[in-house]
Amino acid sequence: MTWLRWFWSVLAGQRFVSLLVGGLSAILVLYPIFYLIQAALNVGDPQARPPQEYGLANFGWVSEYPVILWNTVVVAVLATILAVAIGFIMGWILSRTNVPGRAVFEQLMALPYYVTPLMGALAWSFLGAPRSGFINQVWRALGGAEYLIDINTASGIAWVMALFEGSVAFVMIGAVMKSMDPSLEEASQVLGAGRTRTMLRITLPLVIPGVLGATIFVFAEMLGSFSAALVLGLPARFYVITTAMYQLLAQYPPRFPLAAAMGVSLFVVMFAMVFLYRRIVTAGSYATITGKAFRPRPMHVGGLRWVLFGVCAGYLFVAAILPFLTVAYASLQKLATGLPGLHGWTLDNYRMAVSLDAVRSAMWNSLLLGLGTATIGVLFMGLLSWIIYRSRIPGSGIIEYIVMFPQAVPRLVFAFGMLWAWLSFPFSIYGTLWLLLIAYLTVFLPLGIRTISSVLLQIDKSLEESAQMCGASWGYRLRTVTLPLLRPGVIAAWLLLFVASVRELGASILLTGPNAKAITPAIVEAWFSISTELTAAMALIQTLAVALALALLFTFARRASQYGGE
Amino acid sequence: MSDGLTVTKPTADAGNAHIEVKDLVVQYGHVMAVRGVSFAVRLGEQLTLLGPSGCGKTTTLRAIAGLEPPTSGEIVIGGTPVFSSVKRISVPAERRGLSMVFQSYAIWPHMTVFDNVAYGLRVRRMGGREIAEKVGSALDMVQMGDFAQRSASKLSGGQQQRVALARAFVFSPSVLLFDEPLSNLDAKLRAEMRIELRELQHRVGITSVYVTHDLEEALAISDRIVVMRDGVIAQIGSPFEIYNYPRNAFVADFVGSANLIRGRHRPECGRDGLIALETAGGTLVYGTAHGRPIGAEGVFSVRTIHLGLSREAPPAQANVWPVRVRRSVFQGDFTQYQVDWEDRQLVVRCTAADPLAEGEQAYLTVDPRRCVLLEAEPAPA
Repeated sequence: MTWLRWFWSVLAGQRFVSLLVGGLSAILVLYPIFYLIQAALNVGDPQARPPQEYGLANFGWVSEYPVILWNTVVVAVLATILAVAIGFIMGWILSRTNVPGRAVFEQLMALPYYVTPLMGALAWSFLGAPRSGFINQVWRALGGAEYLIDINTASGIAWVMALFEGSVAFVMIGAVMKSMDPSLEEASQVLGAGRTRTMLRITLPLVIPGVLGATIFVFAEMLGSFSAALVLGLPARFYVITTAMYQLLAQYPPRFPLAAAMGVSLFVVMFAMVFLYRRIVTAGSYATITGKAFRPRPMHVGGLRWVLFGVCAGYLFVAAILPFLTVAYASLQKLATGLPGLHGWTLDNYRMAVSLDAVRSAMWNSLLLGLGTATIGVLFMGLLSWIIYRSRIPGSGIIEYIVMFPQAVPRLVFAFGMLWAWLSFPFSIYGTLWLLLIAYLTVFLPLGIRTISSVLLQIDKSLEESAQMCGASWGYRLRTVTLPLLRPGVIAAWLLLFVASVRELGASILLTGPNAKAITPAIVEAWFSISTELTAAMALIQTLAVALALALLFTFARRASQYGGE
Repeated sequence: MSDGLTVTKPTADAGNAHIEVKDLVVQYGHVMAVRGVSFAVRLGEQLTLLGPSGCGKTTTLRAIAGLEPPTSGEIVIGGTPVFSSVKRISVPAERRGLSMVFQSYAIWPHMTVFDNVAYGLRVRRMGGREIAEKVGSALDMVQMGDFAQRSASKLSGGQQQRVALARAFVFSPSVLLFDEPLSNLDAKLRAEMRIELRELQHRVGITSVYVTHDLEEALAISDRIVVMRDGVIAQIGSPFEIYNYPRNAFVADFVGSANLIRGRHRPECGRDGLIALETAGGTLVYGTAHGRPIGAEGVFSVRTIHLGLSREAPPAQANVWPVRVRRSVFQGDFTQYQVDWEDRQLVVRCTAADPLAEGEQAYLTVDPRRCVLLEAEPAPA
């Protein structure tokens, strides 16, 4: 009896659980990376595992390499500039001016994020394809020649990605502008500096570290982005690194070592970027971020406020409403090549999508995976957050670095490492949903941990310590104090993980098998091989399914918390 | 008064010591927060760690609690070592049988007042009726009986303070630790709570260690005070001892404001058990050595409140000097003067009804028993 109790106390003990969870996360992250690097260094028989010969030849000359690199850089730079400009302008308008409807706009700024780059790319393909695009049709009808815009170019891809990433940049830059102590500016004005001088000498220097940090973060994201470049670039044979990698893997015979080498070089660059980002954020944040929530006194901009209102509404229209309406319209057309008219409306695409077994099972799988990833994820990542930011377990700093690793690795690259890693795993999980589940849990580690830890860090440490001083053991403290206080963070993380999993593309596209399909890769497949109208219907079904699932969950959660609260 | 001299021999009265801290060192990276601190707390005693921020007092308290891992040293509670770097013992905080009131109160906002207080009892698997009884009487004791079902997030600062207190003593811990529990309250409430705390401490009668940077608080509630500075102990003694007989310039200045008067020892001028120092300006100042050895030089500490000013020369006695008032600042409870004395200024706080004007001539007096010799400090290396 006593040894059983002892055994249990060890199992439930802080040290054991921490080591287990920390070790598990390290394996999840590092195991695929190891195989990725191994594959990149394989210069012998590409199919031989483990490699018979090692070398750096895969990193050397591939005839298309310079072009692909150039494409990647051009797209990433263009998209970053545009996204940061959007983020800066929107951040300034919504946190520092008295624009009408400020609070509502702030909520709506999440919409472009929910549209996703894939949906954006589909929509802008309908709008801006050189021949059939609606915008170009209008242009020709008005007497223009050829076409007005071509979305299947570097700037087209950058445009779509920037519209999406603009909302991310907004969140980052807006937070910096909001957390700035308004008395810093007031002090400048009291000392006799005018509004312009204050802006140039005080405001700008204070927000620059935040803007710089956001720029690097966005740039790293752009380097690794995949879906927009795939949908828009492939028809024009325009490749960036990620799509080129995908092409190398999808062709027959697949050229694994070359793809791996591309992945590793991208990963090295992004790793440097993320490292730089962290340095800037930790070095520059002290001046503005005081931890207090300020509501800066908004600037009164007079008649200009309606212009700014137009800017906000314009961005939301172009980045969220227009793409959604376009896809919705296309999904209801027999042939989505004409401008809206009386004819051609149909529900056939939806009937078709729902009747296809492949689509049905893919949708069902994705929802299942979303549920699994979110539920296992919040437990796993919640524990990890606690271990990283609260425990005094030696090595918790290293765990933090490891779990944030996936942020520096494009999901496609990561999935490639996983493909190899889990092929040589004793249990056969390749080609099953389990592999996708493991992949999602790995690539979304940074997302989940960031969400939960932002709430965790707000919980005063003494709340846990006082439970400890009352004699509560670690597990009891977690259950009665930490977890209940963490609930908003856990719910937010659950929802984010669910939505992200259901719509994941980069990792899924490599890891799905005939018996384990996911919905987003199925959508991309339909786009290239079946019909664009059907694809639009599928994309919309996916969006609606996610929205419906969230609505249901919200209702349940609210009801549960009402009963539970008594 | 002699109990104040246990400084160098912390284990001298280990017979009834409840907590013993021996050579405690706490290091964060390269920063030494606590650098070899030793003291003992007797059974039922209220001991206060007093010092400016960054002196290591909170770290010492948290090391006793088990919330901060010490680098070296030993902590014994009730005869059982709970930490020892030599014996490689480190009992986790929850198994030390202590309790603590936090500076931030640390009231759990997601629970009711009742649940907050009942927490420690539930951890100890007590029965429902017993819990209700104990929580009820604990809440009554801190005058929060009517608030049991109130959500803890809807309490004022003072109410949270009371709940935190009830939560800390309800499960009858062997030791209560206080980490600046009153520092977040406003001045008036703080003064009230100070008295309540002292009363509660007498009623409950448990050993407690209290951390504060507030002198008045320390004087009011402590049986003994440990003054800390830069991670070491500056002085240990009763409030009376600490206030009246500071050992060194730091304690003299930190524990109430004091003037320091340096001079050459003139043994031949001593009388009536007093000693005399001759200042650089040639003035003879009489004071008491308080049993401390004196070398060729010495420093008296004179509290600003113990100096007197009068317009007429008082009847002949020691330590009377004519001075000129340079600055006079009315501060409510007293008036603070700066007076020219020799080639320097002394600070005097008087409560006289008829204040002196700036530039006025007056006589400065001080009772020689109020001029206390400081211990010789080792020459700075």
